[in-house]
This record gives sequence, structure tokens and C-alpha cells, in this order.
Amino acid sequence: MAKKVLNGIAVSAGVSIGRAYLLNRGHYCLAPVQSISEELVPEELDRLRWAFQRALEGLKQIRSGVPQEQTEHAAIIDSHMMILQDPKFRETTESYIREMRLNAEWALEKGVAEVENAFNAIEDEYFQARVEEVRLLAQRVMNQLLGNHDSIKPITTRVILVAHSLTPADTVELDVSKIMAFTTAQGGKTSHVAILARTLEIPAVVGVEDVENHVEDGEYVVVDAFKGQVIIEPDQQELDQYEVLKEKFESYQKEVMQERDLPSETVEGFRVRLFANIEFFEEVSAVIDYAGEGVGLYRTEYSYLYNTSLPTEQELIEEYRDLASILHPRRLIIRTLDAGGDKVASEFENLEEDNPVLGLRGVRFCLRYREVFKTQLRAILQASQFGNVSLMFPMISGAGELRGAKQVLEEVKEELRTENISFDENIAVGIVVELPSAVMIADILAQEVDFFSIGTNDLIQYSLGIDRTNMYVSNLYQPMHPALLRSIKYVVDAGHRAGIEVSMCGEMASDPYCLPVLLGMQVDSLSLNPQAIPGIKRVLRKLTMDECSELLKRVLESDSVRASNKLIREKIYKRFPEELIFYSSMLGQEEE
Amino acid sequence: MQKEKTVYIRNEYGLHARPAAQLARKAADYNSEISLVMGDVKADARSVLEILSLAAVQGKSITIRAEGPDVDSAIEMVENFFSNSNGDY
Repeated sequence: MAKKVLNGIAVSAGVSIGRAYLLNRGHYCLAPVQSISEELVPEELDRLRWAFQRALEGLKQIRSGVPQEQTEHAAIIDSHMMILQDPKFRETTESYIREMRLNAEWALEKGVAEVENAFNAIEDEYFQARVEEVRLLAQRVMNQLLGNHDSIKPITTRVILVAHSLTPADTVELDVSKIMAFTTAQGGKTSHVAILARTLEIPAVVGVEDVENHVEDGEYVVVDAFKGQVIIEPDQQELDQYEVLKEKFESYQKEVMQERDLPSETVEGFRVRLFANIEFFEEVSAVIDYAGEGVGLYRTEYSYLYNTSLPTEQELIEEYRDLASILHPRRLIIRTLDAGGDKVASEFENLEEDNPVLGLRGVRFCLRYREVFKTQLRAILQASQFGNVSLMFPMISGAGELRGAKQVLEEVKEELRTENISFDENIAVGIVVELPSAVMIADILAQEVDFFSIGTNDLIQYSLGIDRTNMYVSNLYQPMHPALLRSIKYVVDAGHRAGIEVSMCGEMASDPYCLPVLLGMQVDSLSLNPQAIPGIKRVLRKLTMDECSELLKRVLESDSVRASNKLIREKIYKRFPEELIFYSSMLGQEEE
Repeated sequence: MQKEKTVYIRNEYGLHARPAAQLARKAADYNSEISLVMGDVKADARSVLEILSLAAVQGKSITIRAEGPDVDSAIEMVENFFSNSNGDY
């Protein structure tokens, strides 16, 4: 028996066996608390000073890696270095060792608590918030005391990276050749770490609650990114099983990759085009490597997020143009900004929305801040002449909104014509169908767009009223809920009646278990993460439309999600024994 | 010897993290003890955290107090620091 098995979300398939490397940064863990004898005081003081010095050196190193033009960033690090050298802070902390005979960790806690007390009395929010930085800096010192790794840099052998969370900045520092797998407490299917893991083709399990407190540095762990498990200190028998699984998967992967360039069609030749969802420019190579027929969803938020200023038109033109021309003649569908003011540039008013998911986001945000919207549309249009570009609007809840967005698009086109700037006059315009209201008026909306892309992640959330990341209700997140299946079918049928293409860009599109049902509905194309394309193609090529229609019919007739899931599982069980092992499904595991 | 001088915070964001760190670094170069006094709160100018805890926002007045061998140059340094930085320290 393994020492412990932790559950999470598998975001990049595979299995990895190796030593854990615990990255503990910006997250608080309990410090050991003890009193020390008088003769140990000098030693403890030395230990504390050493830890401060090491933390300071760590900052110096980061500081030296900051490009010269990033003066703001450098200034922040400078002030952090000053805080670590603050004589008052140091003296207070040391006095707890000297006078109260606390161990260094405890003294550090006390020292920080005193700073916190001093700052809590401050009314001004800016100044009060500085105390957070003191906390984070103290954590760096604490990591030194506890022997936790504070940065990814010193990895020397191949390891399994265990962390509370990984930020894009951390991943820049990663020596990826040394990382065999990731496991983090935070993150979901579409988080940065998930995308990174898939790009690197290494297994990753995220959303593992408290993983950093369960795994110890150097422990032997297995990351099972099929089932979404982290196995700590497995026994020999478990290890053997995983070794076998690993080999099986590797040969399965090889086979899948060999078939990646075959046409994506069912046995009788029904074509379903497979596109990729991407968020970062660098992912474009994966689209091509994994034989994607283009990009079905380019998430454009990254250039806007957390920057101090908005991207300029020129920056966006370059980004979109490069992408379009690299992909050409493959298709590029650009989704216009799908974020709220909370994530877009600090220059926006703080909206303080009680419920941002139901708030000012997506096209609503764009229609309120028209200049932001126009800048993006101008960039998309100007990039359109360099490739095969389409655009789509997210979060459309009604025909009025769609018309509003299209009107802004027309205004922008007119501006460009006046300025004699060329663009693709026939650029296709679609919408992401992700709100139940849009589903119910799909027949009306279909008259006014060139294509639909069903965004199942949000559609499930809004239709079922379920936040999947909320552990208390996540069991109710059911893709095979009859309400959802009827919704999808309604949209597909409405689109086809109007003669437009209907695609699907949610996570369901990359779930082989969902595939036969979606095929039964005759969706025209699927858009999924690039690495999943060859595997889905393999399943697709083994299915017949007859069996898919038959399955869909039976699923739609069944009176419970349970019954539907059972029908689907039986199908997969019979036809795809390998996929059964290598894919975790959105359908859930509860009925096995 | 002890000397005092009163200055006003002029920049928009007050004595925020960056200037506080700069001032603390400069203050460490002097042998005199330099304090910033605001109302009944006193901060050691070598301590960035104490400076920040003053929460010195725009428009507030601060008394610079120095005591030690190089008191004149210390006062001058702090005064220049506050007056030469033209809106952003």
C-alpha cells in the first residue's frame, strides 16, 4: 500500500514515476515552534541571519535577471531587498531569539506579527497592503529556515515538481528538461500550468488539495495523469503496475501519432474537422505538429491580462498577423476579448461586482468600453488579409447584443475603408453559444452569423447552475444531463437549418466518451487542445455514423444521467479498451 | 547635536514603497540618527517599514529630526530628497 493517494484533475495525460521536488513559495505552512536553551541562542541567531542573507541573495539573483527597461519591476525588488535588510525588523526578530529564547522560525513569525500590528492601524489602503509583501518576503526567509526550495533554478536531477501553484513567471525559470511531471494544488484544465504541461508533453495533475503539505521533498511519487492521482511512496507492486502502464501508454501514443495525418472522418467518410484551442502564440507549433486543421478558438485575453496598460493596436496587429500567416491556409478563429474589468489592465475602474461570472464580461465589457473593443477589431481586421481569419463574439445573450457588436464591427470596417487600409471584406463572423438564452434563440441568431461555436464549459455551468471548481456541487456537473444534450442538439439543428457551420470548442470536444454522442448530433467540427487532436481522431476514425446516431437516440430517450452514462460507457468499453485506460472522462467515475 | 526641519509630502502617491526604500538606503550612509516624525509617530529613517508605517500621503507634513556627528549633511540630504524629486520621489 502506498503511503497516501491524493486526488486531483488530470490535465495532461501520462504517468510519471520519480522523486518529488517541493517548490514552496508564496504559500504559508506551519512553522515548527520551540523554545531553545540559552547556549543555543548564538547558533539560532546565526541561523536566522543566514536565512535572511540567503533570501536576500535570492532576490539579488532575480533582480539581476530583470531586463533593464523594466524599471518598475526592478524598483519593486529593490524595495523588497530593503525590507529584508530593515534594521528594525531584523532587530525585533532577533530580540525574540535573544530575550524570549524562541527558535528562529517562531521568532520570525513574531517579528512579522509585530510589523502586521503596526500596519493594521493604518487606514490608507495602499500602505496597509504593504504588509502582504512583508509576509511574502518573510516566507522566503522561512523557506530557507525550513530547507524548502524557493526557486526552481537549482534542480539538478529529473524530478516531479510539487507546488501550491505555478505562475507564468515560475515557468519561465523552469529548466523543463529536468521536470518529469507537475502536480499543483491550484489550477484547472485550462490553467497556465495545464497548457504548459501539455505543450511539454509531460503528465500533470492539478487541483490536488494541499498537495504541498502531503508530499515531502525527495519522496518517491507517481503522478497518474489518467486517473488524476498522486501516489506517495507506492509499494513495489504498485510501482510495477505503473511501469507497465507507462510502457503501454508510450506505445499507444506512438501509434496515435503515426496516424495523426490521416483524414478525420468516420468509417463511412463523414468529415468532422478538428481544430485547436490555443491561448499563447507559442502553441501554434503544436497545432501544426498534432495535425490540427487550424485554430478553432484563439483566446485573446493574455495580452490584456494583468498588464499595467492595454495592448496597442500595433501590438495586436502583429500578434494576430503573425498567427494568421503562420497558420495560413489553415483557419484562425479569433475570439474577441472574453474578460471582465477585474482582469484587464489596471486602468479600469474597480467595478466591485458581487458576481463577476454574471457580470460585465465578454462582449458586455467590450460594448461598454467601445474603444478597447474597436482597437481589437481594427487589429483583427487588419490581420485578416494575411491569412484565413474569422472572428467570434463571446457571451452573447441576445440578438440585441449581437447586433450591437456587429454594428461596432461595421463602424470599424468603415473607418478602415476611409483610411484606405485593406482587410478581408468577407471575414466570417460567428458567436460562442454559451448561455442558455442564446441556445433558446439559436434559430434567430443563426440568421445573423456565419457560424456557431458551442462553448460547452460555460454552457454547462450556466445551464446547470454549477461551478465545477466548487467541491460541494461538482458532482452535479454532468455533460450528459438531458437538458444539456437537448440544448446542444437544438443549436446544431438550428444552425444547420440556417445553413451555417456548427462547431464545438468546450472541453466536451476533447472527451472521447462524449465524442460518439456529439457525432450523433452531426457537429461539423470540434476544437480542442492541440495535443488531444490525434487521440480524438483515432476514436473518430473507428466510429460509424450509424452507431453514433443509434447511441444518441438511446441517450436522448433515457430518463436519467446515470442511464445515459451507462449506455456511453458500455459503448466505449466495447469499442475502445485502450482509451478506457488512458482517458479520464468528464462523465465521472461514480458508476464503476 | 540635534536639528529639525519640517517638509511637506508633495507627490501624488505619498511616501510609497519605492521612495521609502530609497530614503532608507540613503539614511544608512550617515552616522547621525535620522527620524521622520509625523504627529506623534516617529520612524527611523533607516527602516523602510517604519517609514511606510507612517502612511505619509500627499499633503502631510513631516519633521526631519537628526542627531549625531554629521547632522547638517544628514538634514540636507533628507530635505533634498523631498524637494528634488519633482512629483515622484
